[in-house]
Amino acid sequence: MGMKKKAMMGRILLVTLLTLVSLIYIYPVFLMFMNSFKPFGEVVSDPIAFPKQPTMENITYVVNKIHYGSLFFNNVFITVIGITGIVFFSSLAAYILDRRRNKVTALIYALIITPMLIPFQTIMITLLKAMNILHLDQSRVGLGIQYWGFGIPMASFIFYNFMKTIPKEIDESAMIDGASTWRTYRSIIFPLIKPVTFTVIVLDVMWIWNDFLLPLLMVNSSNKTKTLVLAAYTFVGQMNTKWQYAMAAMALTVLPSIIIFIILQKYIVEGVVAGAVKG
Amino acid sequence: METLVFTLPALFLVTMMMYIPFLMSGYYSLTEWNGIAKEPVFIGLANFRELFGSGSSFAGTIFFTLNYTLFFMVFSNIFALALAVALAKKFRGANVFRGLFFVPYIMSMTIVGFIWKFIFMKGFEKLFSLTGLGFLNLSWLGDPSLAFYSVAFVGVWQSLGFYVVLYIAGLKAIPEDILEAAVVDGATPMQKFFRITLPLLGPSVTTCIFMSLTNGLKVFDIILALTKGGPGKATYSTTMQIYQEAFTNNNYGLGSAEAILYFIFVLITTQLVLRIMSRREVDL
Repeated sequence: MGMKKKAMMGRILLVTLLTLVSLIYIYPVFLMFMNSFKPFGEVVSDPIAFPKQPTMENITYVVNKIHYGSLFFNNVFITVIGITGIVFFSSLAAYILDRRRNKVTALIYALIITPMLIPFQTIMITLLKAMNILHLDQSRVGLGIQYWGFGIPMASFIFYNFMKTIPKEIDESAMIDGASTWRTYRSIIFPLIKPVTFTVIVLDVMWIWNDFLLPLLMVNSSNKTKTLVLAAYTFVGQMNTKWQYAMAAMALTVLPSIIIFIILQKYIVEGVVAGAVKG
Repeated sequence: METLVFTLPALFLVTMMMYIPFLMSGYYSLTEWNGIAKEPVFIGLANFRELFGSGSSFAGTIFFTLNYTLFFMVFSNIFALALAVALAKKFRGANVFRGLFFVPYIMSMTIVGFIWKFIFMKGFEKLFSLTGLGFLNLSWLGDPSLAFYSVAFVGVWQSLGFYVVLYIAGLKAIPEDILEAAVVDGATPMQKFFRITLPLLGPSVTTCIFMSLTNGLKVFDIILALTKGGPGKATYSTTMQIYQEAFTNNNYGLGSAEAILYFIFVLITTQLVLRIMSRREVDL
């Protein structure tokens, strides 16, 4: 009995401690949301407390100023284009490269995954020039397409490793029944690799949705092509930041991610773990 | 033939976005080019000579990046492991806690940087007037020796949840009967952790160390949001140096040379750490 009581006490102590630590840990996020409902004077005079006279003025100002709806659409549009291409091209290549192993496919595989070693800052200067020549800069579609090139190495690597675990007999029997390679991929392989497709989607959505530097270089010139993070960035100046608007803009940028995370927490965490372990 | 049709799109895209810009960087690093003049002028290795010269601040940015990465790796892993041990236990609400620590990781690093900029500038001031705690009255972003810790701290805060969930996954994979057997044999909680849990956690530790290494070396957004590399050059990472050289100073040639050196630096550092880690794993 004594042991049990001690274990109980230990557990209560642990939960209390964790509650305290996690509340302090997450406080900055609360602070952002709280301050987006305060008038300027209150943000400056009392930045850490609950709003005394909550106002929607900051939110409505920011929503109108940055055309929140259309920027939100830009984010979704760029992310969807990016993800679709990454998943499609990577899984297709990984399928063929795993099933037909020879010197040529080994070389192609190596060429596809090696760029994982190249940091973005190494190529960003010349990328801007190259994309300018190809007319892929200053365009949402162009930015989405650029993510294909950056996402494919890692995604191909993850798909390729998973493809090994799918028995060859499955697609061989489909081929014997007369299905083409494309048909086999589309109706047999693609459904089978769903779990890992989900991993790739989670990782790449988080990356593309929140990405900052590539959009800054490629689509920052016009409101028609801007992303949410870029808009939030413009509210914070060097000297006289209007923090009440900045907080509202940041809160509006982060809110969709947080809502989706609350709904899909289990799957997102699983995807991130799987991606790190496989990648 | 089919092989080529199905794999060439991926290869083509990677070539367009990565190999060609990479080769271009290699070429432009040998030129003087300000982006305005039509043609870059070939100057051989002059850019590299300048970067290795005594007047150059490039070595300082590498030093900062290494420092930051080391701090980031050590503290991310220690705190994440401690939290994971507590959060891997079964109790009601465990998932809520895990979720809370993960929230900053799903946020854009730029925004995380701005939130903390606000806290360091305004929040600490208010907290100081309420509590009188001396450390709150320091200039965390304005003092060159403190700015390093502010930037590194925010980096750890943003991605801690990521390492926590990786360690939790590793801890859950450890068979419970081994741990129970240790308790039966009279192992103290400390012995249990260092003699059994930690060695069995090997693969997770390797993953987390490697991920924190590559993420540390890439640091950029948080610094741009918090300090822009300042005060002075106190928090100037190599990534920041390349960015400013190219897009503020318009020295595209010199920037490309820095980009190439940065690539070599990242390659050597990661390979070195991989080598050390694989040797350690054999020892176990």
